[in-house]
Amino acid sequence: MTAPAGNLAIDARNVTKVFGEGALAFTALRGVDFAVAKGELVMLAGPSGSGKTTLLSILGCVLAATDGAVAIDGMTITGLKDATLASIRRARIGFIFQGHNLIASLSARDNVALVLELRGVKRSSALAAADEMLARVGLGDKLKSPPADLSGGQRQRVSIARALVGNPPLVLADEPTAALDAHSGLIVTELLREVAKERGGTVVVVTHDNRIFHLADRIVHIEDGLMKTEDGAHS
Amino acid sequence: MTVTGLETAAVPRLVRLRAMGRLGVRMMFHDRLKFLGTISGVVFAVLLAVQQLSILFALLYRNTQFVDNAGADIFIVPPNTRLLQPGEKLHESVLYQARGTRGVLEAQPLLFSAATLAKPSGGSESVTVIGYETTSRLGAPWNIVAGATHNIEQPDTVFLEDSQREKYGAVNLGSTRELNGRRVRVGGFTWGLVPFGPPYAFADIDLARDVATVPIDRMNFVLVRVQPGLRAEDVRDAIAPRVPEALVMTRDQYHHSIVSTLLKEQLGMSFGISTSFGLIIGLVIVSLSMFSSVLDNLREFGTLKALGCTNGDLSILLLVQSVLYALFGSIVGLGWVTNVVEGIRNPLLVPIIPHYVIYAAPVVMVVLCLFASTLALLRIRRLEPGMVFR
Repeated sequence: MTAPAGNLAIDARNVTKVFGEGALAFTALRGVDFAVAKGELVMLAGPSGSGKTTLLSILGCVLAATDGAVAIDGMTITGLKDATLASIRRARIGFIFQGHNLIASLSARDNVALVLELRGVKRSSALAAADEMLARVGLGDKLKSPPADLSGGQRQRVSIARALVGNPPLVLADEPTAALDAHSGLIVTELLREVAKERGGTVVVVTHDNRIFHLADRIVHIEDGLMKTEDGAHS
Repeated sequence: MTVTGLETAAVPRLVRLRAMGRLGVRMMFHDRLKFLGTISGVVFAVLLAVQQLSILFALLYRNTQFVDNAGADIFIVPPNTRLLQPGEKLHESVLYQARGTRGVLEAQPLLFSAATLAKPSGGSESVTVIGYETTSRLGAPWNIVAGATHNIEQPDTVFLEDSQREKYGAVNLGSTRELNGRRVRVGGFTWGLVPFGPPYAFADIDLARDVATVPIDRMNFVLVRVQPGLRAEDVRDAIAPRVPEALVMTRDQYHHSIVSTLLKEQLGMSFGISTSFGLIIGLVIVSLSMFSSVLDNLREFGTLKALGCTNGDLSILLLVQSVLYALFGSIVGLGWVTNVVEGIRNPLLVPIIPHYVIYAAPVVMVVLCLFASTLALLRIRRLEPGMVFR
């Protein structure tokens, strides 16, 4: 990684994650170093069980590392209290989940607006921003539709709108194309890249879908809890 | 914070709370089956608890209604009296001492005796004869549904309980019966004047003396009315030293004595248990429904946590749901129980739902639902936001 430290959206050093204890202990990450420059779209690729989702969870402040240091936007998140981590997630991170994870009882616009309301944005402003973002992802005519009335691709678009509304500095996506067919997966990822770039956001996408690799600024491979260098050696 | 170009509220926390409240309502109504299940828990809790309480109040009223309606401000009764029932007699000197006390407007004797009413077809029924001075209204019957009030002033006339007509042998106005072997004529009927013991039968005090063979100088109670503008408590305090052989109570004291004695000795435990069962059943249903609702939506709650909701935010969501469940359920439950008690209303049991019970029910249900939501809240608190990536 060549970007200077002040220009890093993510700076993770020597990150280790061990699940369980004793004989049942399983090491998912083995001293991983991972840095992403601001505005970069990085894809984390690797086989199932390689540790990519674990790393994404740690970067997303929803899982604590067993060892190592992680900084998001220059702020060290290691050892922070749950409430502080929640406020970081609220203000600085947009999430796109594999299964879209929309709230079934809310319409598309309410799903998107909710993220802003959690940040303290007035409802009227939040709804206006949600409408604008949904129009940007091509769902201007589906504002009031509940998730159950949307197709898989449309739900993932709502999920993208939810992740990008309010311009969080960091967007983390976990297998965003896993539940979509090849065409929809490509469109959704192109959209994610396009909107994130125009808003200057940093995006980390966990995927093993090589059909979308060409959309990445950089692809990082992870295997057995270790980063692989470009020559294939473990770092 | 990078929410550029968006108007943020002066109190972002308040916006979040509102958003959580709104989300709680949406989630509540989204799963209609769970909604109905939870609401039915509250409805049944209200129905069972309030219905039991209405019967308790009805039974208490059956035993206090004479004290409440006799027209007396003060009752002079034999010592150790706690309930209203035939017992030891007072000497007439007590009556005269009361009449001679400053502040007393009127003092009248009252007889209260068990008697037997013979039926024409054979057999008999027990009654409680209330003999009062018919020139006064102290101790007179109320809730008269047949016969003129002044009929009772006619010789050998009694007023009987309307609901017992068939039991007394198809008795009607003008019918004659034997009361303890004394021939009496029925001059009127009252409705619902049935204590725990035999129903009341009203008669002039002289007739009652004859029927119950009580000497002219004896009586069960002395009923006192105080002069307008005076406090019953002050007059009671003035009478008490003059009649050391008797117990002097205001109407409220006597009422309270009957209620507390019945609650302590007979009704409190059984109705306390049945009312509690109603509340416990409601608590269990609401608790399980809310818990199950959280289990069904674990992924959504995990997502909310991942998006930045704290346990406090999600507590607000459950709190709003609890309050709404309690209020909706209370309204339906109270509406239902009102119809139910009206349906079981009869002269022997007139269920009573006091106003304060109607106001208290939603409050109790809110507390119950909040308590019931703790199980769901505990589950949410344990929920790790990282589960959304698994």
